[in-house]
Amino acid sequence: MFGFFKKQKSASVAKDRLTIAIMSDRDRTNGYPFMDEMKAEIMEVVQKYVGVKGVEIRKEVDGDMEALAIDVELDKNA
Amino acid sequence: MGIVIAVISGKGGVGKTTATANLGLGIAMNEKKCVVVDFDIGQRNLDMILGLENRVVYDMVQVMDEEASLKQALIKSKANENLHFLAASQTKDKSVLDSDKVAKLVAELKESFDFVILDAPAGIESGYEHTIEFADAAIVVVNPEVSSIRDADRAIGILDSKSAKVKKGEDVAKYLIINRIVADMVESGEMLKSDDILEILNIKLLGKIPEDRGVIDASNQGKPVILDKKSIAGQAYTRISGRLCGQKVDMKNIEISDAGLFKRIAGIFK
Repeated sequence: MFGFFKKQKSASVAKDRLTIAIMSDRDRTNGYPFMDEMKAEIMEVVQKYVGVKGVEIRKEVDGDMEALAIDVELDKNA
Repeated sequence: MGIVIAVISGKGGVGKTTATANLGLGIAMNEKKCVVVDFDIGQRNLDMILGLENRVVYDMVQVMDEEASLKQALIKSKANENLHFLAASQTKDKSVLDSDKVAKLVAELKESFDFVILDAPAGIESGYEHTIEFADAAIVVVNPEVSSIRDADRAIGILDSKSAKVKKGEDVAKYLIINRIVADMVESGEMLKSDDILEILNIKLLGKIPEDRGVIDASNQGKPVILDKKSIAGQAYTRISGRLCGQKVDMKNIEISDAGLFKRIAGIFK
């Protein structure tokens, strides 16, 4: 009954932390060596019509579905 | 035609060079011709672990630059005549390697040896990339510890994108060695279990090596621990070498301490 209050064992803390860290490492590095180039090109295209402050691209995985989330921050002063 | 295996880790200090030396010797003890090559240019160490540091005359960079022949540079192990060793250059830096030269060296070694084992440098820089480029398989060495496992995942990611085999659409085989396991820490939940590590890295297990003070004693003397029949790490390397030579060797559960084993046996009679 005291087991309920026992703190989580450090090996399982390590497993949880590693799983998350490695997942985000893989997202950041795997398969997208072209990320910076793509950012620059998107910026160029949008720039033709409105002022752009920056572009952020993230890979999002939801079950079997993978998507690229692209945020384009506009430059209000432009 | 031999098989080329790169021994990689990502993080340094996990026992990669020790594993290379012991597996090389273990394979040689199985009557296979084996060469171990130190690719850690500028930080030569495999010679010390093998006890061959005084025999190095020519290194692999000199062979690649055709300043020495392969025959001149290969050093025969004192412990087993099937094992040969090619030293890293100690004076040059990692940038001396280039793909064409590495490809030529590896091809030449494959012709005369059953196993060509390349000891990769730590890190994931160009020296590492050149080591894995022409490998048929990789052995990843980790410790049951977060930084080692995370760095290994990065190294595996680079292997999957830079390997010549992968670029041709083939698979490069990957196997894991978990080194320095402390059984009673795994039992008490203070050390990651091998199953958890395999799940996180999504890789097949080649073998588990228990923590063993004899490993340092062995490297002090330049006699790989596999030569010590009483050493538990040495026995683990013997089992892994057998697997690499195609024998079916059961996976020994080294994640139970003697005390834990006693409890289990006692449990049977309860």
